[in-house]
Amino acid sequence: MFGQANVLAAGQAAFPPSVEDFYLPSILPWGAHDSYWFTKITAMVWIAVGVLIIFFLASYRKPQLVPTKKQWFAESIYGFVRNNIAVDMIGHAGVRFAPYFTTLFCFILLTNFFAILPGFQISPNSHIAFPAILAVISYVLFIYAGIKHHGAGKFIKNSLIPPAPWYILPLLIPIEFFSTFLVRPFSLAVRLFANMFAGHMLLLVFTLGGFAMLSANTWLAPVSVLSWVMTIALTFLEFLVIVLQAYVFTVLTASYVQGALADEH
Amino acid sequence: MAGDQTPQPNGGSGDVPSGAGQGWTALGYLITGMVFWGFIGWLVDQWLDSGGIATGIGVVLGMAGGIILVVRRLGTPT
Repeated sequence: MFGQANVLAAGQAAFPPSVEDFYLPSILPWGAHDSYWFTKITAMVWIAVGVLIIFFLASYRKPQLVPTKKQWFAESIYGFVRNNIAVDMIGHAGVRFAPYFTTLFCFILLTNFFAILPGFQISPNSHIAFPAILAVISYVLFIYAGIKHHGAGKFIKNSLIPPAPWYILPLLIPIEFFSTFLVRPFSLAVRLFANMFAGHMLLLVFTLGGFAMLSANTWLAPVSVLSWVMTIALTFLEFLVIVLQAYVFTVLTASYVQGALADEH
Repeated sequence: MAGDQTPQPNGGSGDVPSGAGQGWTALGYLITGMVFWGFIGWLVDQWLDSGGIATGIGVVLGMAGGIILVVRRLGTPT
């Protein structure tokens, strides 16, 4: 699990970091290089799921009128997502979706946070598979919500036919179709993936770059130190990106659900 | 001044998505319009060998379409 740190200590990390660095050695079977069934990434996703389930179960185990600290924390998260995302974007109908949004928000926040958590130091979301699956879930959700609310025909008519004179409709309908049904899930997945990928890459470049310069020439040691200081600064930037991306993903899902539920205008 | 608060928009069942969602929707329309009709124009270019003219027309048309969509979908509700 700490393979990367060992590689660093041994001073044998290849300097320009590559996509290879995102494929960590297998845990089960231990150390196999061509097996991706159970890697550190897999373990982290399961840990995230477990931590969230246990945290929320434990917080609501004996709910009290005057909440304990843990209960207050859990309620704040749920309240934030429900009031500031679900109700704010969708209205009262949004409360129904608040549990899903909260789950989504917490899961993305925690898996993103693994990117800068010592010992974990890579986010599962820097592999496109995880954001892609999350985007597919949101995609299915907003289409399902729209069809359930309006009926299939009216939902498709609402989302494809904008209020415009008939003679420009041929110009607009393909754009609507493209942006609603093709670009949305894609951009949702790619936005999260690219942010986490770039963040990890950036930290790798500055950390490994420090080692590379140090082993190239001892006189470069001050620059190495500068590079590591930059790593720390970038870690704080990463934290901002982590929270922001979790929020953006949830807000956009809410916005798509809102669009699917909206009446024609 | 205790009761002197500005009324908060409580979401309601408004037609227009608020804040960030609206921004992304608008950006999506503008980019998609250009990319989609630009691509159609590029296909026409390949077909007629017209050296990029159709791509240009497609991009401009798509841009116009995107702007119309933003105005119609996100503009002031009448």
